[in-house]
Amino acid sequence: MSRGNGVWWRVAWRNLWRNRGRTLVTASALAFGYLAAVVVSGLDDGMGAELIDNGTHLLSGEIQVHAANYLPDRKVNHTIGGDDGVDVSALLRRIDEDPDVTAAAPRVYGGGLVSAGDRTEASLLLGIDPVREPRVTTLLSDMDGGRIPRYAHEVAIGSEMARQLHVTLGDTLVLVAPAADGLLGNDLYKLVGIFHTGTPEVDGSYTILPLADLQSLLDMSPDRIHEIALDVARPSATDAVVARLESTLPTDGGPQVDVRSWRRLRPELAQSVDLMSSMNFLIILIIFGMAVFGVANTMIIGTFERRKEFAVVRALGTTAMGVGRTVVYEGILLGILALAAGALITWPVMVWWHNAPPDLSGFVGGISWAGSRWRPILRVEYSTEIPIYSALALFVTSVVAAVYPAWRATRIPPADALADR
Amino acid sequence: MNLESITRSPARASRAALIATWCLCALCLTAAPGRAQSAKEIVDRVDRLLRGSSSKGKVQMRIITEHWSRTLDMDVWSLGTDYSLVRVTAPPKEAGMATLKAGQEVWNYLPRVDRTIKVPPSLMMGSWMGSHFTNDDLVKESRMIDDYDITVAFDGERDGVPVWEFNMTPKPEAAVVWGRVVEQVRKADDMPTWVRYYDEDGTLVRTMTFSDYKRMGGRLVPSRMVVVPADKPDESTALIYKQLEFDIPMSKSFFSLRNLRSGG
Repeated sequence: MSRGNGVWWRVAWRNLWRNRGRTLVTASALAFGYLAAVVVSGLDDGMGAELIDNGTHLLSGEIQVHAANYLPDRKVNHTIGGDDGVDVSALLRRIDEDPDVTAAAPRVYGGGLVSAGDRTEASLLLGIDPVREPRVTTLLSDMDGGRIPRYAHEVAIGSEMARQLHVTLGDTLVLVAPAADGLLGNDLYKLVGIFHTGTPEVDGSYTILPLADLQSLLDMSPDRIHEIALDVARPSATDAVVARLESTLPTDGGPQVDVRSWRRLRPELAQSVDLMSSMNFLIILIIFGMAVFGVANTMIIGTFERRKEFAVVRALGTTAMGVGRTVVYEGILLGILALAAGALITWPVMVWWHNAPPDLSGFVGGISWAGSRWRPILRVEYSTEIPIYSALALFVTSVVAAVYPAWRATRIPPADALADR
Repeated sequence: MNLESITRSPARASRAALIATWCLCALCLTAAPGRAQSAKEIVDRVDRLLRGSSSKGKVQMRIITEHWSRTLDMDVWSLGTDYSLVRVTAPPKEAGMATLKAGQEVWNYLPRVDRTIKVPPSLMMGSWMGSHFTNDDLVKESRMIDDYDITVAFDGERDGVPVWEFNMTPKPEAAVVWGRVVEQVRKADDMPTWVRYYDEDGTLVRTMTFSDYKRMGGRLVPSRMVVVPADKPDESTALIYKQLEFDIPMSKSFFSLRNLRSGG
């Protein structure tokens, strides 16, 4: 920048403070706009995270590993590593080593019947590792009674299923399921737990038993599992983990594994989150749209008041561009000022809100949305992108808002303005 | 011939009557054997071929799937269309497993846990004993004329054999699982040759093929039926009748839950 330019910056700065009150009000408007934008998207991220957490932590986990041919048919023989299976403990060790994975749980599925007395219901049989599973999902954390099935011939069913079968803890259940060898696997089990997730589809359909028990019911060797569900520390790391696991998981010569994030496993959930993001974008757009007109208004009045001054500097030989430039510089300086103020008021609010989210449970009950239970908590999530983008948007807003007044300023005919015509 | 199919609207009915009259005249003129029978009658007769008013037999089921193959020997009993009982006799691992159909209900007996279990409605389309037959096949068996409108889709020679091809579409109120069923029957002896099952979108789901026509229990029957699912042409379930008796004395009390457990 030339030295002459520096003069124009100084002129802009001084102009800004000629009407201190108006500048402060405009800067505050922008600062609060910034606050609103960051908090609104933080809230939106919070709701999204809540939705993802509740949607994935109940049952699916954030990432799942299957044999490539397992989904969507879920055939009993399509186990990881093919018919021969894999070294499950080696596979789990490899997954546990990943720095972004907090927990992994192996699973076996079977479609079958649960029967007690003369009542029978169709059910999805889920074989779990009683130690690993609770680290990934919350399915078994809300027990209506009893405990997680840990030992041989123990099962847990949902509250809705228990109601339909008219059974209570300690009752004997018959499980029947087509096994991997085509036989009709059947055996007796003791009901040791009744879970209640609040999601009727889950409470009415899942029957949970230890992995080894379901493997023996389905005539599968211990090396054969259908699924590994993972929990990831940070949601933003999900895609990276998927890419890493997809390329490195050992399958013992069997077919390729398929690693899917919740975005692919739960497309309806992903759509809800995307919908919320786009609504959020719209709100930010409106906030900054309002800011643009606010700033433009201030600057237009400001330049109108200074018609005579502009006329004088024009008469003294300043180019039209030179005059317009001061006005734009004013906008830039105003933007920087507002940004500093905005950051100053936004951070404390975000930190407080993030750490003490208002709980609206007293006003509204839990909401089920997109198959995931949503706690009515106004949670706010930090993000690095939104504050930066909002800052850029705010800056651009103040500059753009200054362009029209600047253009007007360049068009002032010195003689007419001085003559009050 | 196929009066049943064309008596829907009055206009069509009168035209049909005209055609029928003309056909009758033609028949008389050519002095053909008077086998003027409706499509419904033929399909019904084919349906009842393997049953009679009651029946008893030994059947072998050979199941071939991508992952395993199995042969089951079974004893079967039936009474009318409402009652049937199937008991597995070999191999030893499965022996004693039994299925009872009484009306619209299907019960399974599991000897290992000594329990009888009623198959819930949601699993009626599920596989029966791992085969390509469904539980629904047992229940809906031979109710074709009750649930379907039957028309003759083809009447002539195929591969040198005179055949009828019947097109069956479910009646509006019928609770059936197929969107369309097509059956080919040999004219000479009313023997079915194949049945094709389509879903509601008109996609072929499975094909049942009949062969090895034999005299068993005093009547000619196709002793071998093979079901092939359309999406897995390498898989199949074959049903081979080893022994069949028809119209033997039998009462409803035979088809009880107690008998399901204890063996006929």
